[in-house]
Amino acid sequence: MPEVIFQYEAGGLIQVTANAGDILLDVARAANVPIDAPCSGNGACGKCRVRVLEGELDSLPSQNISDAELAEGWRLACGSRIAGDVTVLVPDIASAYQSRMKTADLSSGEEVEIFAKLMTDVKGAGVDFSNDFESVRLEMDVPTLDDTRPDNERLTDALCATLGVEQVEISFPCMCRLAEVLREDNFRVYVSGLRKGDTFVALDISAQDEPLCTVAIDIGTTTVSAVLSDLKTGKLLAKASSGNGQIRYGADVINRIVEQSRPGGRERLQKAVIHETVNPVLSALCKSASVEPRRILRLAVAGNTTMNHLFVGVSAESVRMEPYMPSFFHWDGLRAGDLGLTANSAARVVLAPNIGSYVGGDITAGTLAGLLWDRDEFTLFIDLGTNGELVFGNRDFMISCACSAGPAFEGGDISCGMRATDGAIEGVKLDTASMEPDFSIIGEAGQKPVGLCGSGIIDLISELYRVGAISSKGHFAREGRRIAYDKHGSGRYILAFPEESETGREISLNEVDIDSFIRAKGAIFSAIDTMLKSLDMDVSMIDHVLVAGGIGSGIDMKNAINIGMFPDIELEKYAYIGNSSLAGAYAISLSEHAEEKTVALAANMTYLELSTYPGYMDAFVAACFLPHTDISLFPHSVQEA
Amino acid sequence: MAFAPKTQVFGSRINEVTIGVGDKSTVIGGVNVLPFYNFDEQQTIQPKIGAEISDLWPESFPAPGIASFYAGCTGMAEMAKRAETIEGVSFLCLAFEGADPNGLNKSVADCVAQAKEVAAAVEMPLVIMGCKNVEKDAELFSAMAEALQSKNVLILSAREENYKTVGASVALAYGHKVGAESAVDLNLAKQLNVIMTQLGVKPESMVMNVGSAAAGYGFEYLSSTLDRVRATALEQGDEMLQMPIVTPVSSETWSVKESMLPESEAPEWGSAEERGIEMEITTASACLAGGSDAVSLAHPESIAAIHKMITALM
Repeated sequence: MPEVIFQYEAGGLIQVTANAGDILLDVARAANVPIDAPCSGNGACGKCRVRVLEGELDSLPSQNISDAELAEGWRLACGSRIAGDVTVLVPDIASAYQSRMKTADLSSGEEVEIFAKLMTDVKGAGVDFSNDFESVRLEMDVPTLDDTRPDNERLTDALCATLGVEQVEISFPCMCRLAEVLREDNFRVYVSGLRKGDTFVALDISAQDEPLCTVAIDIGTTTVSAVLSDLKTGKLLAKASSGNGQIRYGADVINRIVEQSRPGGRERLQKAVIHETVNPVLSALCKSASVEPRRILRLAVAGNTTMNHLFVGVSAESVRMEPYMPSFFHWDGLRAGDLGLTANSAARVVLAPNIGSYVGGDITAGTLAGLLWDRDEFTLFIDLGTNGELVFGNRDFMISCACSAGPAFEGGDISCGMRATDGAIEGVKLDTASMEPDFSIIGEAGQKPVGLCGSGIIDLISELYRVGAISSKGHFAREGRRIAYDKHGSGRYILAFPEESETGREISLNEVDIDSFIRAKGAIFSAIDTMLKSLDMDVSMIDHVLVAGGIGSGIDMKNAINIGMFPDIELEKYAYIGNSSLAGAYAISLSEHAEEKTVALAANMTYLELSTYPGYMDAFVAACFLPHTDISLFPHSVQEA
Repeated sequence: MAFAPKTQVFGSRINEVTIGVGDKSTVIGGVNVLPFYNFDEQQTIQPKIGAEISDLWPESFPAPGIASFYAGCTGMAEMAKRAETIEGVSFLCLAFEGADPNGLNKSVADCVAQAKEVAAAVEMPLVIMGCKNVEKDAELFSAMAEALQSKNVLILSAREENYKTVGASVALAYGHKVGAESAVDLNLAKQLNVIMTQLGVKPESMVMNVGSAAAGYGFEYLSSTLDRVRATALEQGDEMLQMPIVTPVSSETWSVKESMLPESEAPEWGSAEERGIEMEITTASACLAGGSDAVSLAHPESIAAIHKMITALM
């Protein structure tokens, strides 16, 4: 049988055997070699490129591989079959989602500030942030021949006496440590747990006073981020993010559901999100804050319906099947130990409730953080993720819907796309005459560009349209130093020539990318349009627009309006609120009252299923144009040249 | 009190697009009421009929009636001259199906030579149709535009994939008229019109082909598209949809089973030729009732029937 060697660009290799005729991407997946395949191996996205170092592959030609690249050995993993022994190079960019785990630097205070402000705002709306977790110091009598109570009875008696409770439950992780910890410092210990009426649940025991911790996790289809904070004060202790390890099974929720329905698929996807993504993130948080995972006594998880189903390990098949009913909306009863999370195994895992197949816990948590439910004015809340979700309403009513925007806002499905991390171009301006770019790049001064994140793509497309470099349909229409055409006549804009980029590869945005993005923005705008029409309302009735998501904080609302992504209303009405799902989860992780509030607001939200809504497709096609087929909707959109 | 019918005359009007030169030039469009609603306001411009002639003829005629009409003609020019004599025909549609790279793959030069020969022989306006292969059509139309300069022909059609080449060569460089072809969707039709005008093509130089289908073959999509396009152009005054609609009919209807299956194989269906004519008439009349300002037909009997219909309704 042929031997296949995957050699990582960053070092290391994996060697497996395969059958002749096997598809390389399948071999890589089976061997857990991370290769990006946002289109799930349909040959459409061109992201699963590998380079043959030795041997041969039986590869189909692809538009995504130029002749020069073909000669250098570049192939698409999804379009290549094993023909014999082969060694392939897996480029670093492909393993990015795994290697680019990022722990935030909290020293600047900026991040801390965001969460502190959120807590103040949510408190201001009447949500109580106190909780019943406590840590108590106990000094017990040392056992003697006259006092032969076993450890658990000794602890129970001490807890009852000190806390004034009648019952004590000692959790399994606490029980396991009991004997050792009691004897570490002569029966002087700290016990942490949760008081429920006259019962105290002991979750952890330690010889030293250690902080009580809670974690909020946002499980996005593309990105997972989390914060660790002090359960009593809400103080942010650490923040980390990582790509979702499920990416190699498809970029969007539909491809993930297809994959989970294959034999062993649910286990593979759960493993990818828990063991390859969430647990490493939890470990990184604990390391960064110098706390033990067992000190995490509560977790709040916000994710879209598919993500929370796959996280729990419940089939998400019914999400994509008519009548689009998931297995659960609101479900309580999950413990960290059930999933093998890197946390106290008895810690409760609170899942933000779903309200529909495509509007999940990330949105209910986001709505909590966005405070729509506390206002008289009408707020439109837009979460720009792989799925775009919208909520509109005020304290009297709320309606929500979801549209499939694809991963473009997070840089997926775009040839030079990337997440909003170091090296990402987050802002672009073009000179009208020369079309020369001026960037703002995430990272330290002097950072060369690596790719474009969502906000950068919005800027660039808006600017290309403004200077007349592209038509309303996204086709290139001008000539210039930075515009090149391939042999099929398909144009691209060169943001950085190879010598100007960090990677030494050209960074460019081509017509296929622009088309993907126009579809994404079209999905968002047509969803806004359709949802408001279903209420017999129009964009002029919107008082506030809250934009959330990992698109990059530099999002320029004027440019987003210029390309017809957001309604053409006063710029002052817009605000970017960052990762609202994580913010909401943070509030839930600290407060049971916030948790109850989220459940209540979810129950009061109406869900509009766009896929069955007449007229949505029409609105979508009309919106897939710059700025829109009905130009009268965008009086402020400009094309200067 | 006498009954006073309420009329519905729109403030907007479909553009008038003139094709051809001299006495035989013809005007397409120009209406400001719904199709054939002459009781709302008498229209001066009638819907037009084009006689379609394929470069695959005389080797393969779709029906014996067409063959007998063109009997004795040896080439496209002779057939075109004869087509000019059919009552009710306002323009000639030359379909270069033979240019298809997956078919005969005739060279652009050969097609152009044929078209020039026709242009020299006839006085009626010409409409040039391609082979549906976007790349070959772009090449073919550019060459046609140059070869037929000053003839003011209509080229059908530019599509999203080749509008830049076709629009630039046909309309911008040589001042011909150009059709914008989209796939049975109001928004796609409008989008193509917008980007063509962004390219610099004047709306008055454009017509639309918003798609075509034989009756019974998804025609309801075409029907609702025609309705909506016309309503948006007239009721909402949308200038980007006020181009006249030209719908090629025979290229669709002669390739469906109802027209092609010989009588020997379906005796209960009756004469194949009659069926083909019926399909052509049914489809063309439905298109005209939906808002097409011109249709192209192949069979002289279909042309006669549609001409009769238009005359009766005007």
